[in-house]
Amino acid sequence: MFTSFIHRFSAPKSFVEVTAIFFPYVMTIGFLVLSVGWIWGLAFAPEDAIQGNSYRIIFLHVPASIYAQLIYFFMSICALMHLVWRVKLAAYLIKAAAPVGVIITFIALFSGSIWGIPTWGTWWQWDARITSTLILFIMYLGIITLHSSFSNAEKADRLMSILVVVGVVNIPIIKKSVDWWSTLHQPASITVSEGASIDPSMLYPLAISALGMGLTLIALGIMTSRLYILTREKNKKWVQSYV
Amino acid sequence: MLNFISSEIFKLRHKLRSWLGPLLIMILVLIAFPLSIDISQYDLNKFFFSVIVVALLMISFLATESIFSEDYEDGSLEQLHLEEKDFYKVVLAKIITYVFLIGFPMALIGSVFSIANGISLQDAPKIFIILAASTLILFNVFAFGSALSINKGSMLGVLASLPLALPVIVLLGRAVRTVQYGSGFFEVLALMVGIGLIVTAIMPMIISATLKTHLE
Repeated sequence: MFTSFIHRFSAPKSFVEVTAIFFPYVMTIGFLVLSVGWIWGLAFAPEDAIQGNSYRIIFLHVPASIYAQLIYFFMSICALMHLVWRVKLAAYLIKAAAPVGVIITFIALFSGSIWGIPTWGTWWQWDARITSTLILFIMYLGIITLHSSFSNAEKADRLMSILVVVGVVNIPIIKKSVDWWSTLHQPASITVSEGASIDPSMLYPLAISALGMGLTLIALGIMTSRLYILTREKNKKWVQSYV
Repeated sequence: MLNFISSEIFKLRHKLRSWLGPLLIMILVLIAFPLSIDISQYDLNKFFFSVIVVALLMISFLATESIFSEDYEDGSLEQLHLEEKDFYKVVLAKIITYVFLIGFPMALIGSVFSIANGISLQDAPKIFIILAASTLILFNVFAFGSALSINKGSMLGVLASLPLALPVIVLLGRAVRTVQYGSGFFEVLALMVGIGLIVTAIMPMIISATLKTHLE
């Protein structure tokens, strides 16, 4: 049953039809949850004892940094699906997710720079975490450029998938960079083994912001992938009848 | 496998530009560097390795830029793809040949120049070994970039593969510091050689899949 669901859903037509139902709900809930998280974090969470109010950018920076890596991880799973099972939809999703990844990685870098000025006294440092995130940003751009360089879309899909799979090696490097190198960037405040070292009054709005941003990004991803699928399959009968 | 390597050596020997060019550029960059900074030995010792590392990075890319493109254009790559069941062996042979004929001489040049910039004669072999291990990784990574952008120009290859090479540079920088400070060299070397061997085992398969995509 699960396999048949996957097969059915992996057809671009089914994806467009099914996501048309979910999209407004995901978008609305995402915006609402994100708003709650940000309002709670910006207006009601207590001031940090050391950093004062400047720490409040955490509610944007941390979720953005998490999703910058998660989107790439998602793309690599899609790339494997495309390479192993030749799932066409997986390639479309990579192509649609890459611009979202670029934007969110840029937000992570930019918000980190803003946060760096009051806390570190500098907006940029050639630190392992920051530099590896910059590399991730360049990788996203490389993937987009690679795909757009080929007129044969199927060939472009396959080459892009190979690059995405190879590039996934950077994700553990980014994640563990704060542990492997002595960096200016602080280590993770929330770990599986040690729990959260952050106060619940800040942790809850942070978790809600992360959830809200995740849902908003899913909605954004659905939107871009639907647009891309409709453009890519514009000559198919189902698109002509759907549009 | 040995047949492929000997045929690659034969081909590369006749392509003077492909192997001599990168070596000469490496020498020129390393000569030009002291002229651009200062004659103060203190400054040279401090910055010289950064130049070796960046030169190694860029010239490794330059050396592998046409590793597949000429064979692709004259059709011999397609012929090998059709004839050879284990196509990755062809790719592996090419990379090994390039590493031995261009990468290792580049590492040798780097280590010789490092003697002139404050590294003792006893430490020069260590520099050679870490540069050689780095070229093994870098040539694999850039061969991948070259395979991705086989007929689309080198800019795309750089954009696609350079981010993958940057962690190697971080590791190389750490290895150089272990030589300068005299501790932890073998640990970092073991890590680099390990990564080099893993990359050499896996990357030819990925590259052959990439080339097949272009050829099919």
